[in-house]
Amino acid sequence: MKAVGARFPRYDGLLHVTGRTRYVDDFKVPGMLWCRTLRSSIDSGRITRLDTSRAEALDGVYAVLTHEDPDRNVVGHLEDLGVPPDMPLLAEDEVRHKGQLIAAVAAESEERAQQAVDMIEVDYEERQPFLDIRKAFDPDQPQVTPDGNVYFYDPYDHCRVRKGDVDWAFEQADVIVKGCYRPQAIEQAPIETQAALAIPEADGKMTVHSTTQAMYFSMGIVAKFLGVSLNQIKFVGGTVGGGFGGKVDTAVEPIAALLARKARRPVKYRSTREEEFLALWTRAPWHIEIADAVSRDGWILGRRTLTLHDAGAYTGFSAYGAMKHLHHSAGAYTIPNVFMNSYVVYTNHVPTSAMRGFGVTSVSFAVETHMNRIAGELGISPWELRLKNGNRIGDLTPTRVKLEDPSTVPTILACADAAGVELPSEYAQMTPGERSGELLPEHLEDQLGKADAWRNR
Amino acid sequence: MRHRGRGLAAIEYPTGMNLGGDPSQAWIKIKPDGRVDVFAGTVDIGQGSRTVHTQIVADALGVPYDWVTMDVSNTDSSPLCTGTFASRGTFIGGNAVRVAAEKTREALLAIAAQEMEVDPNDLEVVDGEVRVKGTPTQKLGVDEVAGAATYAYGTIVTGSGGWMKPASEPDPETGECDPHAAISYAACVAEVEVDDETGEVVVTKLIQAYDVGKAINPTMVEGQIEGGGAMGIGLGLLEQAYPYYPTLEHRGDRFGHYLMPALKDTPEYVNLIIENPSADGPFGAKAIGEMANNAQPPAIGAAIHDAVGVWITEMPATPERVLRALDEREQRAPRRDGKWLIFDDDISITAVSSNGGDGFIHVSLPAADVSGSGGGGAAGPRRPDPGDPGVARGSPA
Repeated sequence: MKAVGARFPRYDGLLHVTGRTRYVDDFKVPGMLWCRTLRSSIDSGRITRLDTSRAEALDGVYAVLTHEDPDRNVVGHLEDLGVPPDMPLLAEDEVRHKGQLIAAVAAESEERAQQAVDMIEVDYEERQPFLDIRKAFDPDQPQVTPDGNVYFYDPYDHCRVRKGDVDWAFEQADVIVKGCYRPQAIEQAPIETQAALAIPEADGKMTVHSTTQAMYFSMGIVAKFLGVSLNQIKFVGGTVGGGFGGKVDTAVEPIAALLARKARRPVKYRSTREEEFLALWTRAPWHIEIADAVSRDGWILGRRTLTLHDAGAYTGFSAYGAMKHLHHSAGAYTIPNVFMNSYVVYTNHVPTSAMRGFGVTSVSFAVETHMNRIAGELGISPWELRLKNGNRIGDLTPTRVKLEDPSTVPTILACADAAGVELPSEYAQMTPGERSGELLPEHLEDQLGKADAWRNR
Repeated sequence: MRHRGRGLAAIEYPTGMNLGGDPSQAWIKIKPDGRVDVFAGTVDIGQGSRTVHTQIVADALGVPYDWVTMDVSNTDSSPLCTGTFASRGTFIGGNAVRVAAEKTREALLAIAAQEMEVDPNDLEVVDGEVRVKGTPTQKLGVDEVAGAATYAYGTIVTGSGGWMKPASEPDPETGECDPHAAISYAACVAEVEVDDETGEVVVTKLIQAYDVGKAINPTMVEGQIEGGGAMGIGLGLLEQAYPYYPTLEHRGDRFGHYLMPALKDTPEYVNLIIENPSADGPFGAKAIGEMANNAQPPAIGAAIHDAVGVWITEMPATPERVLRALDEREQRAPRRDGKWLIFDDDISITAVSSNGGDGFIHVSLPAADVSGSGGGGAAGPRRPDPGDPGVARGSPA
């Protein structure tokens, strides 16, 4: 055991700091064309006319791409997991958000490509956008999709977690604390924007240099848009540039590859920073309501949550993220009785997507702020409230997984030590193991104690 | 006036895609001089997984770290990896290269056993040498074994493998499922200064403890803790794609309009690594990647409350939000109703929706039904039986 645990410098660190690492955008090949895109200028509406003829006729333009070009124009990132595909690669008859892709041009230079984009004519019939997820079921609000404003998780319009008897917990409670939490959308903002260079090879294969975080995943998506098998594409990944979740979305690679196929020339599409900010996807905004049933001495007996996730205009990864969110809505604590619902709501915001902590960053903010409010209401130290309710070995998560190696207790105690916080000895001496009898009220033993006891109740 | 405050948050975070079913694969070959080539599809775009995976292979195979090189460059030579996301690189990708290294070691020992005329079970690989257990002087270099494999036996020392947490299907009624490969934990203490005239919040110190199971490379774990700390400050104080969400006004399209933390915004860091090993992780490792930006925003929020007595519940805590919270402290005070203590009534679904949010299953009764009762019944769901499939809406997928 010599390498594991050693403080080796990262293999490429020196190259990064001396500027010798190549970004994907640094790759150039002879005869390479450049891509620029036409994106929706409105938030919601029908496309009544799309005319690319002037752009196509422009000198130096090699290909103009519209919804007619992909083998499949609607491919779902999670369709293989049963999430129905809904987002067109290139808009056909409607746009659901500002910045939605309508057409792309490959030309001899970025300037010429932009000139051609500016010559594409598009007319809209504008609609009122729907923006506030809290109004998803309001009858007076616009409908984002023909099926309404809420994603359908079979068999409900939400996903749920149920454990124990939450009504009992709320009856038993001395205090019920309720709050609303609204973490906002942010940008992944990696140092390199999404970029791809697609090269049609002499043997008919397509090589795609890509900033993707997931070569095989993105290759699978591109193969579907092109209608080819996986051995007709070779993905080459990057070595730097960051991602933070935003480069799981395969946004630029299919466009570069389809343009390269149509133009029969290599095509580079590097998204602009403005595209990255305004058109490519963000972390989701959330609305989270929590009501906790607590005893005067600081036991959390039960929790009800209602989460609304702003998916933006299309499903993307939202069905996944909102469920992951729900599975972690107890935080680092053991709560015997839970009743939790999570809804994916469509709006005319830019589609939201994965970002560092996907689904859970929002719940960490909500749950932890809520814990601090509970501590304040009960007059209990926030350290003690957390240690008391923290996950212990053998406890059950909300989805009934038995915990084997939880560390709520050691991480909090390490922070207390470093912050110079003095804790009463029964807390300072806690271990990740079982709750001590002293701290565990008898009438809660079944629920807060061993996992199997609760499960068989 | 500036006020100081301190706040605590504790979090957990899963490893691997939620619900599992996300494999990673790797294959390894040894060159005739004993040097080791590792191939995996785990693209390293800056997070450092290639360094961590190289360390795992070196120890799992028993060769020096600098004998191992790893190629994650393309999908023709490298086998599948679901991707660099869901905090899965060290754990799932790391397990894949560990399994491949163990298979490679078996192949190496089989050749060495023939060369040394001993049982492969009596052999071990240490520091690039194949040794007879208990008799360390009886040995062959890995380079000699690989050379023999190539030129004496006409074969190749190679191994491949993969790792996956099998997919789990959630029960649609209860959500029961086994969704993660491991869970990491963290706690964070934020110390802040809040200016009650400008609303500006400055984070002066972050004390952060992360349980990563096993720090394969402690320097890189610390890098994640500090980098995540900076990102958490961005989340907690600065960044918002829609400054007036849910409206579309004033979206920023460049860094000059979209504030992110700079070096001057980073505080004093105290980084604490806890190693509570995971049974399934490579060398006991869990994960740290994503979770490193989750604990700071609520810790900062708690510190702001400690400093000036207001809760910021619409993250980030921009100067505008802090000042507004201070101005509206009285109007937005929590409402008591029986044993209910209700915060944030004005931003709740029931307050904002024209039909009271009818369609959502509520976490509490509407105000009219709660008032006066105050008893246990207030906890009841709005609908008679929320488990009733009748509440399902929309058209089936």
